Amino acid sequence: MSAPRVLMITPDFPPQRGGIQLLAHRIAAHLRESTVRVLTLGHAEAGPWDRREGLDVVRVAGEGSHRADVARLNAAALREARRFGPDVVLCMHICVAPAATAIRQAFRVPVLTYMYAREVAASRRLAELSVRISDRVVAISRYTARIAEDLGARRVSLITPGVDAEPATSGSTQRLQRPTVLTVSRMTERYKGHDVMIRALPLIRTHVPDVQWAVVGDGALRGSLQRLAEANGVADAVLMRGAVDDAERDRWLDTAHVFAMPSRVPAGDRAGEGFGIVYLEAGVHGLPVVAGAGGGALDAVLDGRTGRLVDPSDHVAVAGAISDLLTEPAAAARMGEAGREHAREFAWPRIADRLQELITESAGRG
Amino acid sequence: MNAEIVHRGPDDAGVHVDPGSGVALGARRLSIIDLADGHQPVINETGTVAGALNGEIYNFESLREELLRAGHRLRSRCDTEVLVHLYEEHGPDMVHALEGMYAFVIWDAQRRRLLAARDRFGEKPLFYVARGRELVLASEATALTRTGQASSAVSAAALDEYFVLGYVQAPRSIFAEIRQLPPAHLLTWSQERPHPSVTRYWSPPAPSGEPTEEPFAELVDEAEELLARSMRGRLHADVPVGLFLSGGVDSALVGAFAADQISGTLKTFTVGYDVGGTSEAVPARALAAALHSDHHELVLTGSEMAVRAPATLARLDQPLADQAFVPLHLLAAQARREVTVVVGGEGSDELFGGYPRVRWMDLAGRMARRLPDSALRSVGAASRRLPAGGRAGRFAQMLATRSLAERHLGCVTAGRPGTRASVYGPALAPLADSDLARGWGVEQVPGRHAAADLMRLDQTRWLPDDVLAKADRATMLTSLEMRTPFLHRELGEFAASLPAETHLADDGKAIVRALVRRRIGPEFAKRAKRPFAVPVGDWLRGSLGATLGEQVAGSALYRDGWFAAEPVGRLLAAHRRGEADHSAVLWPLFSLGCWWEAQE
Repeated sequence: MSAPRVLMITPDFPPQRGGIQLLAHRIAAHLRESTVRVLTLGHAEAGPWDRREGLDVVRVAGEGSHRADVARLNAAALREARRFGPDVVLCMHICVAPAATAIRQAFRVPVLTYMYAREVAASRRLAELSVRISDRVVAISRYTARIAEDLGARRVSLITPGVDAEPATSGSTQRLQRPTVLTVSRMTERYKGHDVMIRALPLIRTHVPDVQWAVVGDGALRGSLQRLAEANGVADAVLMRGAVDDAERDRWLDTAHVFAMPSRVPAGDRAGEGFGIVYLEAGVHGLPVVAGAGGGALDAVLDGRTGRLVDPSDHVAVAGAISDLLTEPAAAARMGEAGREHAREFAWPRIADRLQELITESAGRG
Repeated sequence: MNAEIVHRGPDDAGVHVDPGSGVALGARRLSIIDLADGHQPVINETGTVAGALNGEIYNFESLREELLRAGHRLRSRCDTEVLVHLYEEHGPDMVHALEGMYAFVIWDAQRRRLLAARDRFGEKPLFYVARGRELVLASEATALTRTGQASSAVSAAALDEYFVLGYVQAPRSIFAEIRQLPPAHLLTWSQERPHPSVTRYWSPPAPSGEPTEEPFAELVDEAEELLARSMRGRLHADVPVGLFLSGGVDSALVGAFAADQISGTLKTFTVGYDVGGTSEAVPARALAAALHSDHHELVLTGSEMAVRAPATLARLDQPLADQAFVPLHLLAAQARREVTVVVGGEGSDELFGGYPRVRWMDLAGRMARRLPDSALRSVGAASRRLPAGGRAGRFAQMLATRSLAERHLGCVTAGRPGTRASVYGPALAPLADSDLARGWGVEQVPGRHAAADLMRLDQTRWLPDDVLAKADRATMLTSLEMRTPFLHRELGEFAASLPAETHLADDGKAIVRALVRRRIGPEFAKRAKRPFAVPVGDWLRGSLGATLGEQVAGSALYRDGWFAAEPVGRLLAAHRRGEADHSAVLWPLFSLGCWWEAQE
């Protein structure tokens, strides 16, 4: 059989930034035994980006609200399927389930759908539709797999996201003079644990007086987190860098001493960290990790080997784990190295190969 | 001094003396967890660190785990032992690990350093007197005066503050020589540098002025999760736990969580009055039925109050004009027959925006900024012609007041600042114009909502010095421990991260009301805030008025020139004849008079 033709439908794709965007791009780039066409939304800087990347990308003009853009994407998908003639439809988000339903009915093409976590609680009806029409659900963690199974999905494959195993700035790994704990995350959701980090800082300071906490990422919670740091008397140890480019982010990963993001399962019925790819990225840069013992981090962090998994609501436990790593550099370095090793298992070519197997198998059946 | 505070801990007592330094720690214990092994003070294995704790550390079990992991050896399941080892691990920064209500003292014999701290919201009191190379601390100010450790001379400034506000603000105490450690503060003292250093280790985060982008339902989820976590810590006890049920939304919500989390039937306690219109008993009964609790109701009659109030107020540690103190203490005494620990809804109003006046004052301030001075003067004049105590009159009065701090003071004290000139005697008269709002840090700034500042003010002043002082004193006098699930550090930080308008929607306490709707039912979420739930006006017209009359005629409070007998007597007579309601002035004087006599 010749290389299967895969129509990837995704509302999220670079040059727009974000986790799903990155995942969709790396898959499209690394599925070497498939012919992939990406159907996604337009973007102001898409033209030069698409030319540079050399992928087969079809863009639907997106100029309205996100909801309207997604509706346009769904509407365009059937037409694109007619043109392209896919063997498999790969949905990168449950919001394109209506398009997948139509294509599946019209062309009897198998559908694979990615699931993360947060989107399921946000739009349960679409999640249920996705489960019904998908020949296979691709869950990005054990945590997500359980969510999919709870929705009634029978065929669920666990394929974690991957990482770029060779960092762009691999040259210098000279760590900063000042002991530095790093968090990379947007400040839009409380469950990411920025608040717990702030509560932990005074306790870390008793063991590491000149510690600083650098935060890369921005969001609506930034102001209240800044005020929380002031209330707890640690504003001078907090460095909020805001949203930075990849190069600066990599520089922080190269020069910090510990990566910490004690994500917790959020309150209510909402899902939290689907996988936490950022923990693996920290590993790529040789950083030991402190993460919350729950959700997707359980797959990304090996407790005691690549970092420490702690109760993410207990700032004293978080402080203890971070202090240990900062005050025992040899152990921290060992964990950082183990993290680098662990991250290699998640290199994109390996991840794409696992997805390729699913695609080949589905295409054969279709 | 241990003998002076037996009511705080009738089950056990201990003293530790460090012979090398002459430092002694004493403690009394009310046994709640680890009934057998909780003896205090606790001393570490090497005898170098000793600690005594008043209150509870709710996260002591996870702290214990963390300390064991770090190599400490602990012998008991008691939170005081955790404190001692936590001090070894973190020094004074240990306070950042604590979640609870506490005042504690730690003596480090090696460094010859003493550390004392008070919890973040001010649930447990701590008083001290520093004189030369001496420092004496106690949970009660009167434990210091009665044992001769401090003079019982009162402070005129504190008396002025008391008359206007109804309570004394930390760091002052009613006694000139005694200081009170404010909430969320640390005191360190060493024999080398004997002047105590007092520093703040936490403050409620400054509120946001921006509207939040987070969906309201997610905020309610977050509050529910934090409150559930808070309850788990606060229901942990090896003795029976009950609930003070007021009929309002706060204790209702605490009750809903408690009923879910405890094994067995929840015991609930409510106080009601025989005078009509002010009883909480009826709504509390409906709530108790919804919670399936074992409900107990105390009905206080005017004649019972006449007998019990003077003696109860005499047992206050510092004067307090809160009208609910006596009923709360009598309810606590009833509850103590059934339980050792109670939970209550205290703190919800201050953290979650329960006071409607906050919104009114904010609105008045924004309107006043647009009006010229002449218009405001007319409004002020008109307000004096409107019925006293009526809504329109109060709002007009707010509008006519330029400064936000004055507006707040006038509102929460029912206008007492303006009566000082007439009721103060010669000893207090120089203070009749003192600016008590100085240092409050509230001012109306164009473009900013004043509501958030006012909520913060309530949280940092009124909450510790009135609400929590009342709750602690009313319960501990009868050896009952009160725990307050709303005063959870993370819940407080969460509440402060939201803009005032989120809290003030839905007639105030929007998040609490949403949770009551979710956990109990919509019919229980509607209860409005009642400004006066205690019928003191009626009581003062009865025999309590006669007692006040005796004070005016014979007490040293008037004889020594603190207050002027003649104008107070006139107000009392008018009140008793039913010509006007002067209880806002008379009750603080009555309560003070009862306390004063006990000091003599």
